Amino acid sequence: MKCHVPGANVKVLGRTVHALARFGDELYLESLADCILLRTLNAAESAYAMVKFNKNFFSYFNYNYYSTDDNEGLKCKISMKSALNTFKSPTHMDKQVENLEIKLDAEACKLIFQLKCKHGIVKTHYVSILDSKAMQAVYTKDSVPNRITSPQRILSEALSNFQQSDDQVTLEATEQSLVLRNYVDLNIEFTKVIRSQITLKPAEFDSYTIGEETTITFTLKEFKALLGFAEALNLPLQLHFETTGRPAVFIVHNGSTFEAHFVLATSKPDSATQATSTQNTTKAERSKRKDKSVQDSVRKKPHLETDTSKCLDEDSHLFNFIDIPEDENIPTENGNDTKLNNVRNTIDDINCVDITNNSQAMDCDNIPPSPTSKKIIKSIFKRCFESTFDPRAIQGVVLVENSDSE
Amino acid sequence: MKFRCVMIDAGPMREFSNIVATISKLSKECVLRVTAEQLYFIVCDENNGPTPPVLWCEIPQALFFSEYQMVGLDDEHKDIYLEVISVNLAKSLVTLKSAKSLKMKLTKKQCPCITLEIESPSATSQQMRHVTHDIPVIVIPRMRWSEFNEPKIPYPDISIELPPLKQLRTTIDRMRAMASEVVIRASAEGRLTLQIRTDMAKVSTRFKGLTVEAFGGPIEHSDSETETQINEDMSRICTCRVDAKKFSLFLSADQIAHNRTVCSVVHKKLVILCLQTQENVKIQCFISGIVY
Repeated sequence: MKCHVPGANVKVLGRTVHALARFGDELYLESLADCILLRTLNAAESAYAMVKFNKNFFSYFNYNYYSTDDNEGLKCKISMKSALNTFKSPTHMDKQVENLEIKLDAEACKLIFQLKCKHGIVKTHYVSILDSKAMQAVYTKDSVPNRITSPQRILSEALSNFQQSDDQVTLEATEQSLVLRNYVDLNIEFTKVIRSQITLKPAEFDSYTIGEETTITFTLKEFKALLGFAEALNLPLQLHFETTGRPAVFIVHNGSTFEAHFVLATSKPDSATQATSTQNTTKAERSKRKDKSVQDSVRKKPHLETDTSKCLDEDSHLFNFIDIPEDENIPTENGNDTKLNNVRNTIDDINCVDITNNSQAMDCDNIPPSPTSKKIIKSIFKRCFESTFDPRAIQGVVLVENSDSE
Repeated sequence: MKFRCVMIDAGPMREFSNIVATISKLSKECVLRVTAEQLYFIVCDENNGPTPPVLWCEIPQALFFSEYQMVGLDDEHKDIYLEVISVNLAKSLVTLKSAKSLKMKLTKKQCPCITLEIESPSATSQQMRHVTHDIPVIVIPRMRWSEFNEPKIPYPDISIELPPLKQLRTTIDRMRAMASEVVIRASAEGRLTLQIRTDMAKVSTRFKGLTVEAFGGPIEHSDSETETQINEDMSRICTCRVDAKKFSLFLSADQIAHNRTVCSVVHKKLVILCLQTQENVKIQCFISGIVY
């Protein structure tokens, strides 16, 4: 693959890389017959971003430059840091760079960025390819009930009312208004945190369709990154979302040359209020719900499919609900640290405790929740208490692949 | 206990936001005392337990608020004392500069809170935006009220007008980079001298022609520390050595539109910096002198 990016578009590409850098540490590049895709996934696998650059984004685009027979498209994974180095200052890039050439050879181990700057300066970045695989998340953005198109400034203005320390935001969408709230973690002492809430009227948005009133919570860090992206490119932002637990998709596109999708996992609202509400439900209801949630998880499983490559293994939980971790023993490698095993055991223990608590609550309505040491346990095993946490995510991370493929 | 007030004028809202921002720079925590006539912001020295306040700020409610209702603890104790993290308050009030109205009230939501309801115009459309902040506060029990009494100030030996705060601040900040303590010397002839001394240099800045508002008689200089300027009458000069950082912090108050700043010095003991605005807001800062 070989392509040329004209000076003005280099800035867009730079902005893209900077936005993606706020998401993940690795950048996946895939070249198809008529477009180039950049993707990234954050470490917690709760946020995913994909930016598609169409053929007409480039001044020259030859997909089959090295004339290989392979029609699958070229894929590569590079580290985000090296990509950032190439696009150091996106604000001034369009003034300095006249042309950018990107070359990717199926055989090579380097991705080449060649920046032709003013005064005949040529900067060439040889970026090491870490892997020749691609990764893809499957999500729905078209058949969702809730869609909002927002001018780029409104949401970032609204977010300016929040504190720097806030890390999650809750969005409550009703037909009358959109309420943004900072999400306050139960573990944090509520006497220390400011709770802020902003009400936006539908009239402020370009379009506003709420088919199903809902409340979703997602991370602010990635949200701010994508808002910054939309603002830098002066393009409106489209929000597509369903209900709690299903991914929210944010789309920025200029109609012709590129389209960016940012997918954020949403979590359940306050588990405390949930807990109190569940205490009052009857046994039958609960079992029904359980059935339903099991079905849900089964149904939602194919929601995220992996590409031909196995970058995200079957146990990837991106945007899925996992209710109760199955008691499965993930085969561990022989040389595994015993310490690590211990940690896993404790995690399993905690999960067990959790489950037993639930079953107790099922039998009798008025048993108070078992006392948990507020601070230590929750801060150490914080993620275990998150509603969408999947312990397999910890176990499933393969740092080094088996050299022996048995 | 009840407290509810509304602000609708742009000027006072900007002022209020500036005052809180200044206080938040001076201290992490402050005490908000609500009385029928005035709002007080009181800052005590964090390290030294119950000591007299270092900052005392009075805001007359009538000029700031269009509505103001409060009911105190009981008939005998008509005030409310709240402990607030000043940065929280300041950060939430940043947007006040462009807001249309502010409603501030004491609420109970899981814990006692000051609820700020800010109504601000949207930049892009005609719609109004409603922002609500719940800032957790601690209601101070009556037995601790005495810690926040207005400090009893010894009668100052001299009260002298301060030069423009911005100018003074740049000077102090330069000096602060070199030494941690600064000697303030005020003379009855309207001279104010700031002096630092390091191993390498002695730096002094003199401001002349300042109005002296009060002078409490001859000063006795007992030791050799004060260097005589030959042509000056030492009995008409008052000095005090203070922490340069504390002095500089007060000067950040220059963003509050003020019409009078006065520096009062109790010889070798205390420096009182007082700032007054048109709306009769009075901010007083007490910096105790360092004596060797």
